[in-house]
Formats: sequence, structure tokens, C-alpha cells
Amino acid sequence: MAEIKERISFHDQIQRNKLKSFFLIIVIIAVIIALAFVIGKIYGDPFTFLIFGIIIAMIYVMIGYYASDKIALASVNAKPADKRIYRQYYNIVEGLTIASGLPMPKLYIMENKQINAFASGRNPRNSIVCVTTGALEKLSKQELEGVLGHELSHISNYDIRFMTLVAVLVGMIAIISEIFLRSLWFKNNDRDNKGSAIFMLIGIILAILAPIFVQLVQLAISRKREYAADASSVKFTRSPTGLIDALKKIKSDNINSSDSKKISKTMAPLFISNPFKNSDITSTHPNIDKRIDILKRM
Amino acid sequence: MIGTITWIILAIIVVLIFIIISYFNRFAVLQNRIENSTSQIDVQLKKRADLVPNLVEAVKGYVKHEKSVITEVTNARKALVSAGNLQKKIKAGDELQNVLGRLFAIAENYPNLKANENFIQLQNELSAIEDKVAYARQYYNDSVLDYDNLFSTFPGNMFAAIFGKKQQEYLKISETERQVPKVRFD
Repeated sequence: MAEIKERISFHDQIQRNKLKSFFLIIVIIAVIIALAFVIGKIYGDPFTFLIFGIIIAMIYVMIGYYASDKIALASVNAKPADKRIYRQYYNIVEGLTIASGLPMPKLYIMENKQINAFASGRNPRNSIVCVTTGALEKLSKQELEGVLGHELSHISNYDIRFMTLVAVLVGMIAIISEIFLRSLWFKNNDRDNKGSAIFMLIGIILAILAPIFVQLVQLAISRKREYAADASSVKFTRSPTGLIDALKKIKSDNINSSDSKKISKTMAPLFISNPFKNSDITSTHPNIDKRIDILKRM
Repeated sequence: MIGTITWIILAIIVVLIFIIISYFNRFAVLQNRIENSTSQIDVQLKKRADLVPNLVEAVKGYVKHEKSVITEVTNARKALVSAGNLQKKIKAGDELQNVLGRLFAIAENYPNLKANENFIQLQNELSAIEDKVAYARQYYNDSVLDYDNLFSTFPGNMFAAIFGKKQQEYLKISETERQVPKVRFD
């Protein structure tokens, strides 16, 4: 009986994620069109602006839906994982796809000392998994299996669709501003003063707006997903030990190394553990100790 | 009056047809999953069999004094390749894995072999396949569990009888796998 109930709730979760993704897209379209209408009203030509707004909204949503994984990967500077070099990474994911009946996701790595990982994509057929080089170096095979099992369950219950859509569609402003500010940082010795002053201004406006959008992203993505993904990971790997040990390592390790400069803040909810040292209230992830506790009771 | 009753009956029939179709499809989907997982086991066992000749080739030059284990490996591979149905294949696959385990244990005594690039790669590949076989069997049993749950609970059991579906068998775990896993020092 319990098994059937679990199945049903699994199915429910997928339906919920699809529905939420759909509503999110509708809301985004509505907001952009409304914004265009208001701006048009100010300029005295609401109709032209309305049409522009509709076109922009459609393009924006289409790009967000079909390229969300690519945007997510670009925002954390991820690279495709070479199959010859990362044999074990491929072998573990291949094993887990067999255990879960999922198609093989594309595998990526990001240069980062932290132990972390995330999954993205619009559906299991078009999904990606990305881990940090730190995770590949510091985790044992069993621990890596636990972490990757967690990521695959995000894929199988369509968490990836909703989470990536929120991060990309709502967080786009923040992503753009962060990339923008980062590039400003490196182009300090620009000679064109007039141009850079305008860029500075845009940068400042974006910098003010970005945290608001980051907050919106974090509010939209529930922390309960992480518990569910932990549980499914145990179902795939048939043992909680790997994930427990991995979480313990993440906890002790990520305190020491903060290498999160290259990660966009809106991407934080996608990761298995928060790449930023936030306080508990703004944290996108449930407390690691609590997660370990729940896993130990399985 | 007659009109309403006809409509109600018609509506009930339509709903019934939908329920029947949905149960038929659910059985079909779960059966496909079982078939898919058996082919997955098959694929992994075949990969294991394909790697063995390379392994034998790599090992031959080093372990001259232990010909018997190499013959055993070759024979176990032959048994796997010629095995007929899935149950037999799995049994032969387990047997081959056991013999390979012995071969790897012997290899521990040959430092030159242990340092051989080709050998290390084959060993890693074969151990990855061992994991994948285990995962494939796990998925098979999960699929069978889902199928049997649908098969044995109401109203699934009723539809199972109508469609003439049979209960599916779990894969049994062999004796060697039930043993306590060996501690690895790595």
C-alpha cells in the first residue's frame, strides 16, 4: 500500500511541477505585456507598445523554456564533462539512470573547490547534471552516488523544469546584472569615460534590482523539494549512507572554502547545498543537520 | 424523460470506456518497463562478456603459473554467451563475475600487472558493469513490484483478469550477493 501511495504522490509531484511551470509562464507573459502597456500609455502609444510587449514576452518565454538549461550552465561557467577523463562520473550516472529508468542526462562540470551539484533542463529527455570539480575530488564513489541520485530525482519529478524556469525567467535580471557587474570589474581601465559612465548607471540600477529578483526566486522554490529528492536518492541507491556522508562532508567543507564568486545568486536554489553562506531565514536550502537526521531514520 | 436516461447511460458507458482504456494502458506501460529492464540487464551482461577476451589478453602474459583461473574465466564467458533465457544468463553472469573476482584477487600478487594501464582500465570498466548489472536488476524488481501492485489490488486485479494478465516474477538474489560485502581498502 505504501508503495502505491508513494507512486501516486510521485505522480502528483510531477503534475504539480508542470502546472506551476505553466502558471509561471502565464504570469511572466502577463507582467511583460502589462509593463509594455503602461510604458506605452506614458508615451501616448499604448497599442504599438502592447504588440511589442506581446512579441517580447513570447520570445522571452520561448528562450527561457527551451534554453533554460543552457542559460543556467552559462551563468555558472560550466563545461561539458569529457567522457574519457571523468569515467567514474559517467559510470555512476549511467548506473543511476538504469536504476531509475531515466534517459541519460548530459554531464557537465564547473571549476569550483566547493562540493556541489545541480540538475537542470525542461524534461528528463532534455536534462543536464553538473557537479563541481571539488565534488569529484573530495567525494568517494558512494558519496558521489548519493549526490547524483539526489540530482536525478530532481530530474525525474520535473523539479528541474519549474526550478530552472523560475531561476531563469525571474532571475534573468539578476543574472544579467551579475554578469554585467562582473565584466565592469574587469574593464576598469577602459578609456571611453562617457560610455562607461552610462554603463555604470545601468549597472547600479541593475545592482539595486537584482537582490529583489533573487528574493523572489527563493520565495518561489520550496525547500521541501530537497527532502523529497533526498528520499528518492535513497530509493535509487538503496542506501542512505552515501548521501549522509556526502552531506556531512559538504557541511564541514563548504564552511572553509568560499569559491562562489562565479555563481549567480539566482542559481542557488538549484544546487544540492547552498553555495552562499546565508543566514537561515534567507537560505534556499533546509538545514543540513535536519536532512542528515531524516536520512538516518530511513 | 427517456432522453435524460439515455444520456446518463451514455455518459456512464463513456466513463467506463475511459477507465478500461486507462487501465489497459497502465498495464501496457508497466509491462514495457519490465521488458525494458530485462533488455538493460542483457545489455550489461553482454558488455561484460565482450570485455573478457581483452582482459584475458592483458593478463595472459603476466600470470603464467595460474592458467587454470584463465581457463575458468574463458569457460564462464562461453557459458554466458550461450545461455538461453534471462534467468540462465543472469546465473552465468554471476558465475563469470565470481571467477573474475578470483582473477582480480590473484592479480594482486603481480605488481607489474597491477600497474598495467590497460589492466587497470579493464578492471574499472568491469567493476562499473557490476554496479550497472545490480542497478538493472534493482530496476527490474522495482518494475515488477509496480506491476504486481497494480495486478493484485482492486480494481486492477479485476482488469488483470479481463485482459488475461499474469503475475510477474521477481529476480532472485544469488547466494554470493547475499553475503556480507567485502571490505575494500581504498
